Amino acid sequence: MARRIVLLLLLFFVFIWEGTIVPWLIPDAMHGRLIPHLTYILILFVSIYYHRHTALVLGLIFGLLHDVVFYGDMIGAYAFAMGLSAYVLGLLFQSTKAPYPLMMTVVLIGSLLLDHLLYGIYLVFGLTREPYAWALGHYMFPNLLLHFVFALIICVPVRRQLEEVAKLRRRAAEEE
Amino acid sequence: MLKLFKLLGNKKLFILLVGLILFIALMGYTLTNRGSISWPEKFTRDTVGFVQGVFYKPASYIAGFFEDISDLNGVYEENQQLKLTAAQYMMQQANYNRLVKDNERYKEQLKFTQNQLAQNKFDLHIANVTSVDNDEDTGTIVIDLGSKDGVRKDMPVISLQGMVGIVSQTSNYHATVKLLTTLDPLDPNSKAIAATAVGKENESFGMVESYDKATGMLTMTQIKENDPLAVGDTIVSSGSGGLFPRGMIIGKVVSRQVGDFGLTNTATIDPSADFKDWKEVFVVYTKEAQE
Repeated sequence: MARRIVLLLLLFFVFIWEGTIVPWLIPDAMHGRLIPHLTYILILFVSIYYHRHTALVLGLIFGLLHDVVFYGDMIGAYAFAMGLSAYVLGLLFQSTKAPYPLMMTVVLIGSLLLDHLLYGIYLVFGLTREPYAWALGHYMFPNLLLHFVFALIICVPVRRQLEEVAKLRRRAAEEE
Repeated sequence: MLKLFKLLGNKKLFILLVGLILFIALMGYTLTNRGSISWPEKFTRDTVGFVQGVFYKPASYIAGFFEDISDLNGVYEENQQLKLTAAQYMMQQANYNRLVKDNERYKEQLKFTQNQLAQNKFDLHIANVTSVDNDEDTGTIVIDLGSKDGVRKDMPVISLQGMVGIVSQTSNYHATVKLLTTLDPLDPNSKAIAATAVGKENESFGMVESYDKATGMLTMTQIKENDPLAVGDTIVSSGSGGLFPRGMIIGKVVSRQVGDFGLTNTATIDPSADFKDWKEVFVVYTKEAQE
């Protein structure tokens, strides 16, 4: 139980760092081209190694948090995109024994999926007028790289923690 | 048709569709011009904003420290430059004070109303940035001044270099600033800025209304053909829209060309603010709107 709360807090602090510390680490030349969604990458790990429903709820909560805190135009874009893509990827790839290469593939697909969903929503509501090809090269691919590197750094410890939590849950289910 | 019903019978798909509709409704509702936000939103923004503030400031100090080290070489020259500017400023200050006095006297003689007198009065309040959202299409920053400090929606926000954005939402102790990089004439929430050129305030006029993400330039439209606006002019807000006070620096003219319909000209403007490495910004407190 305590482990779960710690993981939830960790997720919250990653969300905080995403908006405060990470912008300072991005080199000036890449400014506006790297848009870190680190919380989302963590949620993808939850989706694969734990359960897709948990990932859906986490995606909705943290997406909504992002929408409310950085409320410029509208609320709901991030909540929808993060919840849906985390759930769909969990539905397709969920497996506690997923090898790391598979997880990395999920991160790559997930990163692209999120950016595409956001781009689609903004396009529908008239908030962007940039051509698709430009958006792809300008920030979606740099983002992909950033998320991939971040996932490489965190994959081993995060997987171990999530497996522990999953084990505890299974034990609790058996006892009932 | 039967197949479609079968497909809809799938519970997951049904939930997905309902969710989609709900989210589109939510997005559509929040996209419209909302007066103020509800208390759960305010509460979330203030708590999260507080935690973000705890992290943002130390990070900016550390980053600033390394920046200072790399800037050390230029300090001597910069200092000379600043001394020169300060001297010029002192001289102009005396002249300025006299002009202000004159201006006040004339206005009194011409019997300006209280409203007209207060129109271009504003004061600056310094605010710390607590977090940044780099999103390409909806970029915002969060600052630590809120409605309790008197910040209201649509107040302009400037940095030392120039105008950076407009307050889009406020909660009690924090406010979100929508950056000028999201200016877009098609966006229902985006507001064009009435602008003019420094030194040609009475002849020059145009609307700064869009930002091109690919080139990083602002576009000023509706410039008359006989307008004296030229490349290299500094563009400031003109104050004639009523929403933004006069004299906020927006950028420098890079080029001027004939507009879409050939009747007016448009100018490309290089924004003065650099929209990165946020430290402090200033909220421009304008006159309370008459309601």
